[in-house]
This record gives sequence, structure tokens and C-alpha cells, in this order.
Amino acid sequence: MLTPSLPAPTATKPRQPPAPRTLTAGERWRLRAPLLPALVFAIALTQVPFLLTLYYSVQSQNLLRPGSKEFVGLANYGKVFTDELFRNAVFNTVTLTASTVILSMLLGIGLAVLLDKKFLGRSVVRTLLITPFLVMPAAAALLWKTSMFNPVFGLVNWMLSPFGVDNVDWASRYPMPAIVGVLVWQWTPFMMLIVLAGLQSQSPEVLEAAKVDGANAWQTFRRVTLPHLRQFIELAILLGSIFIVQTFDAIFMITQGGPGQATTNLPYFIYQQAFRAFDVGEAAAAGVIVVVATITIAMVALRVISNLFTEESA
Amino acid sequence: MATVTFDQASRFYPGSDVPAVDRLDLDIGDGEFLVLVGPSGCGKSTTLRMLAGLEDVDEGAIHIGDRDVTNLPPRERDIAMVFQSYALYPHMTVAQNMGFALEMAKVPKEERSARVLEAARILDLEPYLDRRPKALSGGQRQRVAMGRAIVRQPKVFLMDEPLSNLDAKLRVSTRSQIAALQKRLGVTTVYVTHDQVEAMTMGDRVAVLKDGVLQQCDTPLALYKKPANNFVAGFIGSPSMNIREFKVANGHARIGELDVPLSRDELGVLAREGSDSVLLGFRPESVDLVGAGEGFPVVVRLVEELGADAYLYGSIVGTEDAEAADIVTRVDPARTPRIGETVYLRVRPGQEHAFSPQTGERLG
Repeated sequence: MLTPSLPAPTATKPRQPPAPRTLTAGERWRLRAPLLPALVFAIALTQVPFLLTLYYSVQSQNLLRPGSKEFVGLANYGKVFTDELFRNAVFNTVTLTASTVILSMLLGIGLAVLLDKKFLGRSVVRTLLITPFLVMPAAAALLWKTSMFNPVFGLVNWMLSPFGVDNVDWASRYPMPAIVGVLVWQWTPFMMLIVLAGLQSQSPEVLEAAKVDGANAWQTFRRVTLPHLRQFIELAILLGSIFIVQTFDAIFMITQGGPGQATTNLPYFIYQQAFRAFDVGEAAAAGVIVVVATITIAMVALRVISNLFTEESA
Repeated sequence: MATVTFDQASRFYPGSDVPAVDRLDLDIGDGEFLVLVGPSGCGKSTTLRMLAGLEDVDEGAIHIGDRDVTNLPPRERDIAMVFQSYALYPHMTVAQNMGFALEMAKVPKEERSARVLEAARILDLEPYLDRRPKALSGGQRQRVAMGRAIVRQPKVFLMDEPLSNLDAKLRVSTRSQIAALQKRLGVTTVYVTHDQVEAMTMGDRVAVLKDGVLQQCDTPLALYKKPANNFVAGFIGSPSMNIREFKVANGHARIGELDVPLSRDELGVLAREGSDSVLLGFRPESVDLVGAGEGFPVVVRLVEELGADAYLYGSIVGTEDAEAADIVTRVDPARTPRIGETVYLRVRPGQEHAFSPQTGERLG
């Protein structure tokens, strides 16, 4: 990858083919040196906090009781696993992630199929459909909370008023569906883009062959296009899951994890433990558990991605 | 099995005033193997896709048998197509690929597998039935694409350059296999190629297209012996025919120092057009080496020796336009002239082709 630049050919030594040359250790380090700041930065920002979290997770420490710090071994982990609130947060996280991923995937496939057709203004429509993904999550959540879900002035109620819906406070009456709604709105473009890439990588001749073979539009989609899309869908689901598991902004902005614990997911649970209860030890233990779980999912995801690439190059 | 009729069929691509296929009239007999040939962009693939229903027919009509299929979708036309890229379904096994059309037509499972098995037997694909296309060689994929077409027992086979992705050696053997298979099945076949050798060796008849217009449709030998115009004359045959414009005087065309007599009919057409020259064509293989004074002198520029044949590239002496003087002829490989030497050549009587210099049409 890294080849040293050759000295300019001199008059006495006209053009010579570049001779292969092994680098000395010093040279190798000199070439790598420009990469070091980024490496140090990445380590400082990810590994140091993680090691600190590991350290805190085996300490009993509550910021409200200064001087309470002591080593407790795995007691914090035990506390986390027996904590009913933690189990509730796990359940909420699974519900939130699964429903968001499934709904946005279905919508994404539908929109991608439509966008794959040629029509006037297609690029404008495509750009508009992508925009929810570009809005900052906190800003989007604030917008949904105030202008969409507001029981008196909200656009949702206004839009549904012809159907007899009146002054519903969505964020407190239907907290989970409301959060899922916001996340689906944000994540559908992501799913749509990946599926669209899959659709556009399909050979048009294969679709024509299906047409000649007597398949109608639905059969072609079901039997030819969907199997082709399978790996793209798997990839999108796994990547989407990793991101959506970490959802914090929407919950913090719209429901504060409530009412009660109705929308408290794992990130919000950890936040509550650390910055509301100030129980740093249990929060750290919960954080470690979530990291381990997420890494497990991520490894599956990476395997799928590499499968995708070997499949494509074959 | 059925006849196929193109009746003044035209196709305009959106945004283009020039038709991709221009008022095509073509009658294809039951069981006939018709080859559509022409340079790229001549409309041959468009013609095939119009017949398949993958391309709209903007004017005119297409019939398969007695049925007007002009506005029918592909699946109602009872045709099978072999694509240039084969277009196999990548996630299906060979057997599933071949049985897909039957499945769509709701053929019962036992009959389906029987027909797939028989097609696989014909094409030597039995050991590969459970493999995916990815795990097959180019030649095997090509046979699967053929198999997918023949299991359907359609009225018409459509083949769009099915051999162009094979290497040269495999192409020659597959060429004869496809021709033999077609004879055996007796299914009307329309075959598109840009390769005139393929066209000549495979087709019962060959239709030559240029710029969306049918130039000539006839048996391979008739195309070779009596090309309808100078385009067909130059396209069919390898190396291609020498076609040059020569002056006409006293009822003779003057090639260098030699006078070649023209027939009364040919002279009549030229006189009516008011031309004082003629496009004269002769194939490299229609020329004999003769003694000095018996033919027109040619300076040898290059000799290509192929073993069985040798080709002489030279220029006719006494022609002003240097480009018009260049010709190619076949010579006896045992006695090839030297480069720079002047040889005398004569076109065998009756083997010259005269075309109008204005329209390019054949005279007489």
C-alpha cells in the first residue's frame, strides 16, 4: 500500500525501473506517523471510557452519598439482572426496535419499488423522501412533540379530525406507538435507500426473462426480485437494529421514558440510573451489558455484509 | 409451431424521429430458422424484442400464426427467449430455472419435472440440475438458457446473440448444436446476430438489416450469389467483397487497364440514371492470377498466409484515387506473389456484381 517515492532520475542515471525495496523499521514508523493522531483520538474516545465503565461497574458508587465508593465485584450485575425496571427496559427496547425496523422496512420496500419506476420528477421525490433521515434526531423529535402530537394544535389530530378523532394526547395516551411513529418516519428512508440500491443492481434482462416466462408483476416480484433483495433486506434490518437499539433523543424529548416506565428503553434506563438516581455502579453495569449485546448483534451484521460482498463478486 | 408475420411494423424510440425499425415486412415460415443480421444499431435486436413483446410496436402489426399479437404482453404470446446474458435466475437451481415458466403456466409438478429432465437430457445438463447458475461454466449457463426455452415447447424461439459470451471454439461447436436442435424440434426460430458467419451457417434464410430497414431476406447462398445492393454485398462474405466505382465507356467498365463488359440491362439502368460510372464488386475468391496483358495490373502491398488460403492486398495500377485502388484477393497459398511485385488479375466472367453508383441497388 505504501510505496516510498523514488528520487528524481538524475542525468547520470537515466530512467530506471523502480526497484523493490524493503523498508527499515524507522521508515515504516515515519510513514505511519500521520495516522497516529486519528488512532490515539479513536482510542481515547472509545476505549478509555469503556475501561472506565468496566471499572465503575464493579464499584458501588452513588454520587448522592460521597465517600460511599467501594469494590463490590459483580454485585452490580446481579442487581441489574434482578431489577424489574431493567427487564422492563429490555422488553421496551425489543418492542421499539422490532416494530420500528419491521414497519420502516415494509414502507421502505414499498417506496423503493415505486421509486424504481421512471416518472416525472423522480429525483425531486427521491430527495424529499430522504430528508427525514437528514434531520437531526433531537430536532425531529422536538418537531413531532410540538407540532405533530400536541393535543390542541397538533397536525396529527387536525388530520384525523374528519374521522372523529378529537384532542388526543398521543404522547401520553399511546406513548409507544407515538415513539415508533417518529422513528419509522426517520428510518424509512434508510431502509428505502438500501432496498433501492438492491433493486437497481438487478439485471433488467432477468426481469424480462421472467416476463417472457409468463410471470405477472406480483409473481416476478415475489419469485425473482425478492430473493435478489433478501441480502439487502437482511443488511438493512441488522444495521437499522443496531442504530435503533440506541435510540435516546426521541424518548428524551417526547416522553421522558414515561408515562411511568412505558417508553423507557435501555439507553434511557442507563441515563436514568446515572443522572437521575446517580447510581453510577449499576448504570455502568447496565451499560456493559448493552455493549456486549450490541457487539453480538453487530458481529452477525458484519458476517451478513461480508456474505453480501462475496455473493456479488461471484 | 407457427408462422410469424411482420406487417409494416415500426418502432420509434421516445424522443427520436428516426425509426429504430422502419416498416418491416417479413414472413417467417412454420419451422423456419430465420437469422436477423446487421451491424450494431441496425434494429435487429429491437425487431426481436418487438416480437417478444418487450418493445412496443408503434405502427403496423405482428402476427404469430393467425393471432395478432401486436398489443399482447409477452406472457400471452407463447414464445421463449434466450438472452445474450442468459438472464438466468441467480437464486434458483438449474432445474428451477428451467421449470419456472411451466410453474407459471400451472403445469402439474410431475409433468414439469419430466419435461425439465428431458430437456436436461437433450442438453447434457442432467448432472447439474441441482446447481445454481453461479456454479456453472459459461457454456453450461448457455445450455441452461436454451433448456429454459425448450421445456416450454413454445410456438417460437427467440434468440438474441446467444453465443456472443462464449469463447471462439465453443461458439463454433454450440453453433452447430443449436442448428441441429432446431431442426430436430422443428420450432420456428428467430435468431439475432451481428456475426455474418453465424448467419450464413445457421439460417434457413437470413434477413439483413441496416438502419432499421430490411435490405434483403433470402437463403444464405442467394445472399452470397446475388446481393440486392452494395451494403449486403459488402456485409456478407469474409474478407468482404471489393466494391469500387469504375468509369463506364463503350459498354465496358474500365478496371485499370482491363475492360469488363456490362450486360445490356445493366447499361440500360445506368443510362436511365445518367451515370457514366458503375459500382462494380467482385469477391476476393472470384479473381484469378493471369499472365501480363490478360488482366489488370496490381501492385502487391501485403500477403496474408493462413495456410489453407492466402490473401493478397494490393492496389490497382492506373487509378487516380489511391483509396479506390485498394483490393483484396484470394491467391493460391502455394504460389504467393512477393510484396512490391506487379501481378495481373482477372475477375472470373459472370462473378462480378454491378450496382448503381447512385442508389447502390443491384443492376440487372
